[in-house]
Amino acid sequence: MITQLKSGNVYDPHNKIFNVKKDIFIEDGKIINKKDIKSKIDKVINCSDKIVMPGAIDLHTHIGGGKVNIARLMLEEFHNEIDPNYDSSSIIAPSTLKTGLKYIEMGYTTCFEPALLPINARQAHAEMSDIPFIDKGGYALLGNDDYFLSLLKNKSSQSTINDYVAFILKATQSIGIKVVNPGGINAFKFNQRALNVDEKSKYFNITPREIVEKLTKALYDLGVPHPLHVHCSNLGIPGNFFSTIETIKAANGLPIHLTHIQFQSYGNNGDRGFSSAAVEISNYLNKIDNLTCDVGQIMFGQTVTMSGDSMSQHRNHKHAHPKKWMCMDIECDAGCGVVPFKYQDKSFVNALQWAIGLEIFLLAEDPWKVFLTTDHPNGAPFTSYPHLIKLLMDKTFRNDILNQLPKGILEHTILHTLKREYTMDEISIMTRSAPAKILGLEKKGNFSNGSDADITVYNKNIKDIEEMFAHPSLVIKDGKIVVENGQIKEYIWGKTHTVKPEYDKSIEKDLSKFFDKYHTMKLDNYIISDDEMHRLVGSPIYVNNCSRKRKE
Amino acid sequence: MASQNDNKNLVCPFCSLHCDDVSVTTDNNQYKVNESNNVCAKKIDTYNLNNKSMLLPKKGAKVVSLSSALEDIRNIIKGHNETLIINHGVDLSGVRSMLNFASQKNYIIDHINSKFLYQNIGVVQRTGYMATSLTEAKNRADVVMVFGNQIFDKSPRLLEKVLGAKNSLYMKKKKELILIGDFSENIIKEIKKKCNVTNVKLDLDLTNDFLNATSLDSSEAVKGLKKSKLSNIKNIINKSKYLVAIWLASDFIKAKNPKKIISSISKYIVDRNILSRAACMPISGSLADATSSQALTWTTGFSSRIKHSEGTFKHDRNAFDSKHLIDNNNVDVVIHISTISPDKLKLNKNVKNIVLGHPNTTFTMAPDIFIPVGIPGIDYEGIMFRTDNVVSVALKSIRGIKLPTTQNILDKLA
Ligand code: SF4
Ligand SMILES: [Zn+2]
Repeated sequence: MITQLKSGNVYDPHNKIFNVKKDIFIEDGKIINKKDIKSKIDKVINCSDKIVMPGAIDLHTHIGGGKVNIARLMLEEFHNEIDPNYDSSSIIAPSTLKTGLKYIEMGYTTCFEPALLPINARQAHAEMSDIPFIDKGGYALLGNDDYFLSLLKNKSSQSTINDYVAFILKATQSIGIKVVNPGGINAFKFNQRALNVDEKSKYFNITPREIVEKLTKALYDLGVPHPLHVHCSNLGIPGNFFSTIETIKAANGLPIHLTHIQFQSYGNNGDRGFSSAAVEISNYLNKIDNLTCDVGQIMFGQTVTMSGDSMSQHRNHKHAHPKKWMCMDIECDAGCGVVPFKYQDKSFVNALQWAIGLEIFLLAEDPWKVFLTTDHPNGAPFTSYPHLIKLLMDKTFRNDILNQLPKGILEHTILHTLKREYTMDEISIMTRSAPAKILGLEKKGNFSNGSDADITVYNKNIKDIEEMFAHPSLVIKDGKIVVENGQIKEYIWGKTHTVKPEYDKSIEKDLSKFFDKYHTMKLDNYIISDDEMHRLVGSPIYVNNCSRKRKE
Repeated sequence: MASQNDNKNLVCPFCSLHCDDVSVTTDNNQYKVNESNNVCAKKIDTYNLNNKSMLLPKKGAKVVSLSSALEDIRNIIKGHNETLIINHGVDLSGVRSMLNFASQKNYIIDHINSKFLYQNIGVVQRTGYMATSLTEAKNRADVVMVFGNQIFDKSPRLLEKVLGAKNSLYMKKKKELILIGDFSENIIKEIKKKCNVTNVKLDLDLTNDFLNATSLDSSEAVKGLKKSKLSNIKNIINKSKYLVAIWLASDFIKAKNPKKIISSISKYIVDRNILSRAACMPISGSLADATSSQALTWTTGFSSRIKHSEGTFKHDRNAFDSKHLIDNNNVDVVIHISTISPDKLKLNKNVKNIVLGHPNTTFTMAPDIFIPVGIPGIDYEGIMFRTDNVVSVALKSIRGIKLPTTQNILDKLA
């Protein structure tokens, strides 16, 4: 069966196509070149007044795993539709079903959970399997687990560390590795309350810098496409841009991705001791080749923050709104903290956070290096993406909101001086092709022959850009029409994206001993096989290629 | 057919610790735990089939075919108003199919242990809470406060595997256990082999007073507790670097105010974290309580007591309480799903009772329809969640009897 999307204005940044009238052809769930079509065209969809883009990709959104479920449980009142106070527009910690529905309605077809605790991987994948429509994947957390830290403490070779990293990717069915507050979560278990980039943890005597160095090198050596995904030290603390810059340096020029960088770009100047360091951070972003980031924009309103960073979440619990929170130490593996929070436009700090995020977006010269996220739900629920796109594309709209914020803000931000408006070309890069590229998803985010037919079609006639991005007229996933004019046409289930670099199996012997001695489960049970993913967890896997052969 | 003397690894479904280090021998589909020193060997073996086991569906006292049992269930459901599914324990695939079934027919779902679940999650839904997990407790805890006295019966290997474990990354000494409640001499004797024990015989309703009195600056006395003992406890707690509090919510059922006990413990732990480290680790029930609450939470946003209507799951903690529904005649069909324990099911004569159950299940009265289903981890592979909610295990299949799974049956009915 062949479907033709006829004469849409096509954006396909990977193939350097921007706003070109073109036809797109689909056969068996894949994009097919016109010249390769052998049979008759079964269905023609007129797209003459439409914008056609590959399905959007969210590379950092908390959609599955223990902490997400804690948030759902904690915030029951936000999904009780029989409660008179229920607000159907706010999706605080949505169920798996709602997550899938809201993403697909916005034309997002692939999403990544960035904080998959290895020990909790089975649960995270089981949850994500229950999210309809979208493809998904996860980044396994390392860098606070006692096994890894003991490898560093014992001065294990880089090659052994590479074996461990590759083993974790396989055992947890992940596509990348993330480090959260390197060493800090572990140090918190020993009652340390802060850990700077060059500060040694009390027990292991290891600095965050060493952890970032080893892990960036490991991913580079293994040829894993996605560089180390880093939630830096000192999240949210005024003055933390220094440690953010030091963390960038710790990669020694190798590829590194800094996540929700807005929360890491704070100065401590001014009468309030809180200021924007967006300019300093953007200078780095613009000048260093191997550095990418996602922003983690905040929006005003109720949300819930969830993080593996138990150290910082414990510190933040005083700001919980409503007044409840939870932190947890987890299995000599990692930790987590869930703190509900309401960003207030009347608050100087929150208003400045909002401005800092936008400053970073607008100062970033290369849309291939900066990604559109709210760190769902930490900065705001992902449903605010269309609003965020409008803020980037429409300076009048942006300045109108800025002018309503507390007066003092204008002295602390350069936002009102930034005239830039993002173009449709740039939006299509940062929400499609760029995330596909940085994750190594060769078959996503483009309309090349053989790529997955994940397609979002927007109605050009909708003049309000926010409205246009919120309600695509057509969403196609794996070649199937799943949303048409806002209506769900068919429920389908996606797959899980992984990467499997090679490693020396002897690491499993040592790990197995470690598990038998110190864990409360066996290594065998910790490993999730491909077959288990499919049959029990509920999601088939797709193994993406490494960018090259392993080096060390 | 399983061959004789086949050695298999069991991932144990029978309590919320879900140990995966048990090996069994299977012989003619009977399994026997190999490690004779395993305190659970007897318990696990009693779940074997016996000459009273029911391997075929029944309508009342009469054995019927599966297809006719299914037809009968369809007929019962069709003619009635409100159907309730009570989960007495099943793996993730069973819970998923239960949700799918309920969503197609607008049914209510409750778990038999929901009341204990609600006691525990109350602290998460109303206040601050610090938690930990089994491996953390094993490697980091120096002092463990144990509240109530059933915990070691319900989770028999907690002592061996966690509290008194031979190996620990950071604890080179025995853990200090403070037992609070009314523990039997036998249990204390067992614990003393592996831990240092301070036994505090206490009315659990005085938990809050006791915890307050243990703070260094307190000069309060606690009813029934000697001054010297109290100062000894203060000493132990004061030195602690990682203190863990554990309890089993069902242990507080006889107390006047179970919720207050749990919130006092939780508050105490939260406060300790201002200067030191401490965490709670409640032990959940043995009827796959955690599996049910986790899967319901991610699918619907609610951990239990839900009803599907108008295209979505709704939640009402009181209205969808299974006991309340049955006592008030608000349901007329009850589907019991009980695959882990053969313990007596309480059935009610005012409703139609359908049971998908363990082949050894016993009842207070004969159900209208009974379909024997496989035991997860014995008869089929599956996933279950451990007590600390963060670890889930992959269950194996160790014997070859061909019982349908709960999922098989519910998918046929949906
Ligand atoms: S402690 Fe529980 S899970 Fe472990 S072997 Fe005994 S019954 Fe099974
Ligand atoms: Zn995040």
